Amino acid sequence: MELALSSPPLHAVPESGEAAPTEATDAELLALVAERDRAAFEVLYDRYVRSVFGLALRRLGDRGRAEDAVQEAFTAIWRSAASYRPERGAAGAWLYTVARNAVVDRFRTAGPVAAEVPDLASTEPGPAEQAEAAWTAWRVHRALEELPRRERDVVELAYWSGLSQSEVAAYLGLPLGTVKTRTRSGLARLADLLEGELQ
Amino acid sequence: MTRERDFDELVGREGDDAERERLRRIHDLLVTAGPPPELPPELEAGPNLAMTLGRPPRQGRRRLALLAAAAISVGMVFLGGYIVGNRSDGSGPPAGRTIQLQGTSAASGAFASLLVEHGDTAGNWPMRLNVSGLSALPEGSYYAVYLVRNGKPWKPCGWFVVAGVHSGTTVTLNAPYELQSGDTWVVTKQQAGTSGPGETVLRPTT
Repeated sequence: MELALSSPPLHAVPESGEAAPTEATDAELLALVAERDRAAFEVLYDRYVRSVFGLALRRLGDRGRAEDAVQEAFTAIWRSAASYRPERGAAGAWLYTVARNAVVDRFRTAGPVAAEVPDLASTEPGPAEQAEAAWTAWRVHRALEELPRRERDVVELAYWSGLSQSEVAAYLGLPLGTVKTRTRSGLARLADLLEGELQ
Repeated sequence: MTRERDFDELVGREGDDAERERLRRIHDLLVTAGPPPELPPELEAGPNLAMTLGRPPRQGRRRLALLAAAAISVGMVFLGGYIVGNRSDGSGPPAGRTIQLQGTSAASGAFASLLVEHGDTAGNWPMRLNVSGLSALPEGSYYAVYLVRNGKPWKPCGWFVVAGVHSGTTVTLNAPYELQSGDTWVVTKQQAGTSGPGETVLRPTT
């Protein structure tokens, strides 16, 4: 029987079987996506899906709605990639704007939220601070995707697993010194990637 | 624990002041940003066709939807006739199908092939998974093979563990479900003590 062999592919991969241009810059990928290159779109998706999902979660506070926002963000990227102009700014910033707009649209379509009048002035960060924090998180999470796997694993475990460095070393089966070396080299690489944030 | 001790514990005390200050700023950014979110399996599995086909502008959606519905209705009539006229034994999905799987960013060096064998009359679809490049997991964690329907991990078809990235393994699984055209499979990483599909580590190449 051959029926399922001819069933539509689940994922958006190039029908020609061409290798995905994993070394291409974001701008180069967007140019390819504008020409309906699915392999380029998949690479762009892998690079940014965590950042987009993080942005959506931060704004919407609900994983289900955030998932929908991610779908809409990448649909918008696929549809409007041709409108990206490199001379107007970095591709990462353009992607952030498109994703943020999709998240905001999702936020608005969720309907009005019952407002409670607070008794005290809020200590929550204001819109400007929230926007800056969202942009910082976007760039940091995006930069993490660029780290070699061995460094990224160590950095993520070191910062967010709740494990001590010794426990990280035991978990990964590495000497403690190697864990510290990889943490340091990971941070140095992130510093190179995030140079603008340090100005 | 102070910020200073945190930083020193993480990177040690080596390096000159300028370099340490540079790393400390990144340390602060990481702390401020917080962890990247764990992706749900639906997003980890990669972009789906709806994204690449795109949604038409809102004004034209209704008209396009009506046109599409009409076209689909006509197409279904022809497709139904084609299937009835061509299938050999009256069953749904085929046997002998091999699905190639590749590692996601969570297991970038991994790959696998999944052979779906002939189903029996009771509705079992034995499968053989040959997998390489997956990491060994901590005790209590394991890998699961999930049947994917409509783009989402739907039902589990079996579980396995591996010795490490340098040792492949072959396991026999079963899909005791009524398979449909378009069904496929992913491999997920199941953490100890959790339920539901975990992070996707292998997904179909096509």
